[in-house]
Amino acid sequence: MAKKDAPQAPLTPAVLHILLALSTQERHGYGIMKQVQADSQGKVKMGPGTLYGSIGRMMEAGLIRESVKRVDPEMDDERRVYYGITGEGRAALAAELRRYRGVVAVAEGRLSYGN
Amino acid sequence: MATDVADRRYRAWYAVLLRLYPRPFHERFGEGMAQTFHDLCRERRDAKRGLSGFALWILFETLVGIIRESTIRMTQMSRTILRVALVALGLLMVPLVASQVVDGWNWPPGAFVFVYVLFFAAGMAFALIARRMGAWSYKAGVGLALAAGFVLGWGNMVHMTEKENPAFLVYFGVLVMGGVGAWIARLEAPGMARALYAMAVVLSAMAGTQLLLSGAPAGPDRNQAIGRFVCAAVFAASGLLFRHASLAGTK
Repeated sequence: MAKKDAPQAPLTPAVLHILLALSTQERHGYGIMKQVQADSQGKVKMGPGTLYGSIGRMMEAGLIRESVKRVDPEMDDERRVYYGITGEGRAALAAELRRYRGVVAVAEGRLSYGN
Repeated sequence: MATDVADRRYRAWYAVLLRLYPRPFHERFGEGMAQTFHDLCRERRDAKRGLSGFALWILFETLVGIIRESTIRMTQMSRTILRVALVALGLLMVPLVASQVVDGWNWPPGAFVFVYVLFFAAGMAFALIARRMGAWSYKAGVGLALAAGFVLGWGNMVHMTEKENPAFLVYFGVLVMGGVGAWIARLEAPGMARALYAMAVVLSAMAGTQLLLSGAPAGPDRNQAIGRFVCAAVFAASGLLFRHASLAGTK
């Protein structure tokens, strides 16, 4: 069941990128940041304020959830909170990607007609 | 070495900056944000890049975040206040209508204002405390405790007014005890459970003593004592709910 605070499409760029980053595996804050940077080829750069503000709202909307604290073997021995995508998050991401495909199809149709 | 010193200084400075976030946000994400900031500092240090430009960007980004989160929190708080005020107004309609249709119910206007303030205060207390935990048992425990506290406080006040007997003040001690217990427990479920159990035990003992002293097999004193036993049972039930919330391990 969708929560009452669930954001309606379109998603904000930050939310979209965080969902994309979490679509394959659970990640901690810094891991999400690095994945977003990689996914966007460095075009989207968010600081901790934007990241955790979005995480808070996404958790309230049920799009992501907090996972158990654990050590990242590729980093230091500090325990970190990991975040994972929920079923609602996947549904929101899929809906957003469908919307993007629709927009791209319309734009391509217009551009080819213009040529 | 100089970089390490700058790194440590920036981390300390960022920790101070994080305290400007609304408290619930800071409690929930402060540690993760500080950790992420440390990771970003380390990344730049490893890449042998300077920290001053980065620190300036983080300062700006964090200040924007603080303003955004504070604004959201203020908006949520305004909505909560409005909702509670409307619900309290709805509840006030009960004595207001009753005073029109029930013979002998003639409260002065000040009494209605006082009752409204009580409804509003109880509602705000519920809204502010219950949001601390998502568990249904915690919310139900808060609701029951406040309802029983309200009934106990209200009942005693009426008896004090009717009989002009300040001895009833002693029952307010149970409410004060609950308030102190909640403060010591910092509203955490295990401590709240203990505070509610203590209130139930003390109130039962007081009601039992009143029952023994009244002596009469039936009458107003006996009915009042039974009413207090009911309140004690509700406090105990509320304690059980807090215990359930604490065992659920959700905070």
